[in-house]
Amino acid sequence: MSDDCQALAGTGVTPRAGVGTVVWYAPDTELPEPPEGGVDADEERQRFADARAAAKTELERERDRVAESVGEEEAAVFDAHVQFVDDSQIEAAVHDAVDDGLPAPNAVHEAFADHIERFEGMDGRMAERADDLRDVRDRLVRLLTDGERVDLASLPEGSVVLAERLTPSDTAQLDPERVAGFATATGGRTSHAAIFARSLALPAVVGVGDALPDVPEGADVLVDGDEGELVVSPTDEERERAAAEDLAEVRPDPVSTADGREIEVAANVGRPAEVEPAADRGADGIGLYRTEFLFLDRESPPGEDVQHEAYVEALDAFPDGRVVVRTLDIGGDKRIPYLDLPEEENPFLGERGIRRSLDPDADLFETQLRALLRAAADGDGDLAVMFPLVATVEELEAALANVNEVAAALDDEGVAHARPELGVMIETPSAVFVADALAARVDFLSIGTNDLAQYVMAAARENDRVADLHDPLHPGVLRAIRRTVEAGHEGDAWVGMCGEMAGDPDVTALLVGLGLDELSMSAVTVPDVKANVATADTDVAAGLAETALAADTRTDVLDNLSDRS
Amino acid sequence: MTEERTVTVVPEDGLHARPAALFVERANEHDAEVEVGPVDGDLVSAGSMIAVTSLGVAEGDDVRLVAEGDDATAALDALEAVLTTPEDELEE
Repeated sequence: MSDDCQALAGTGVTPRAGVGTVVWYAPDTELPEPPEGGVDADEERQRFADARAAAKTELERERDRVAESVGEEEAAVFDAHVQFVDDSQIEAAVHDAVDDGLPAPNAVHEAFADHIERFEGMDGRMAERADDLRDVRDRLVRLLTDGERVDLASLPEGSVVLAERLTPSDTAQLDPERVAGFATATGGRTSHAAIFARSLALPAVVGVGDALPDVPEGADVLVDGDEGELVVSPTDEERERAAAEDLAEVRPDPVSTADGREIEVAANVGRPAEVEPAADRGADGIGLYRTEFLFLDRESPPGEDVQHEAYVEALDAFPDGRVVVRTLDIGGDKRIPYLDLPEEENPFLGERGIRRSLDPDADLFETQLRALLRAAADGDGDLAVMFPLVATVEELEAALANVNEVAAALDDEGVAHARPELGVMIETPSAVFVADALAARVDFLSIGTNDLAQYVMAAARENDRVADLHDPLHPGVLRAIRRTVEAGHEGDAWVGMCGEMAGDPDVTALLVGLGLDELSMSAVTVPDVKANVATADTDVAAGLAETALAADTRTDVLDNLSDRS
Repeated sequence: MTEERTVTVVPEDGLHARPAALFVERANEHDAEVEVGPVDGDLVSAGSMIAVTSLGVAEGDDVRLVAEGDDATAALDALEAVLTTPEDELEE
């Protein structure tokens, strides 16, 4: 190791490594101290004019990109921002403030302040315009202070993005073809950024902490998502080791255990761009197709045809496989302008998932079911549909009744449709306890271990302070999984798992032993899990599971797992 | 010359996002001072995005347009066209 070579520890979230050049993503900008002797007003006016011109150029570029990748309707917000940049009231206020001796960035900040406050004080949708103004203000201030805000969608090839945190909309802009990896100061294995990295097979390390900001722009780094390390100025040796680690054999065909029990290994998908990488990594199908992306970042709900097209596209990507679509799973932690989502004290225990679909969002649910039943007839692969956050048999029966009503309506209209497999996502402790009654009414159960662990252990997913509790290897969670599998099989329902646990190659044998029929995970780990399924023996695996289920503590579970592997 | 007319707003989201952006752009293109507002309330500059947005104009609202200048008629024609065209038929 040379003197300038330095390894920072974090949490690795993908079994992949990448080498590249650091690009810092820092959306925050600081205002300068106004100089004591005042400013040259003409000069500051000119700087403001230049910044407006630059802002408009940026906005037009972003507009065109979004129009192409998402849609015209979603791109409209950038048109609005162009007009805010050009606003005559802002111009007058900035000129006044500059004449009073403020530097241009401070003047811009002040010029927007009253307007932002006024919009914030208005009702509902008008209050959201305050966000638009803040966004425009920050863009101008950044341009005036030479603040670097990297355009995440057009980074040079081989960039490694470093950031304090990456929001879902930040990560959604990253182009996996050009980005070699990323590292963030905050976040854990189940943070949005981590899940995103896995779904696109991007090398990533999260939770690096306070040392991250010391890594300079332009440095050569190695992101080792397997070891959970960010290596600054890696040696040739380290680069080679990382490159070797990165080669996982892709198995395009379904796999069976060494003694011949077939286990379906599928991928979790959160947006259309992830479907093809999933197939490329050898996934047999999609075990969790999240539909939220269809509803986020738009001004009105997606229509039946838009949804139908997305579902058919996924089904066509897996002509011999199965695609399990989860109906809309949304609650008070999301901001969707056209839905009247209440502010809830505790949105994870509130009105979300199937609870909303059955009542306030019944219209959305009906539209989604229509699109799904039509897609079941029109797409190549086999469609399965599951309902999120079911806690009671009544909820399931109501959802199934909705499916029947939609099928009858499509019959009457003479529209082609088919009945998909129907299932329940097992996330609540109640669903575990009534899994026998649920299984008797559906074709399959799918265990969502992220939420199941959260609700069984009463430990929030995003809270690092209780990360140790939020682990499906606690005996309480393992026994809930076992109980679900047994209840499912007694009711002739197949049982899958679609949480992060399913994608951990270290527990594949344990999951086979617990009796799961299907494992669905971020695409990146599909090859590793398939390899471990192929070498597993069901008798040995069953023994492993029995030992784990008999353990009193998580420590015992972990010790037994490491002894046997 | 001063000219005015009252128009009922057609776009379903009202004067927001693209219709609002286009409205302001058109207002600034003409050699006329145009003001806009509710039929019985205060008028604001049609050439300011912030002012137009703060009106909170919704679908079906009646708005009053007042233009002063050589181009007043053309300005009002252009603005009326924006206000009476459904959003998905608007062209740049």
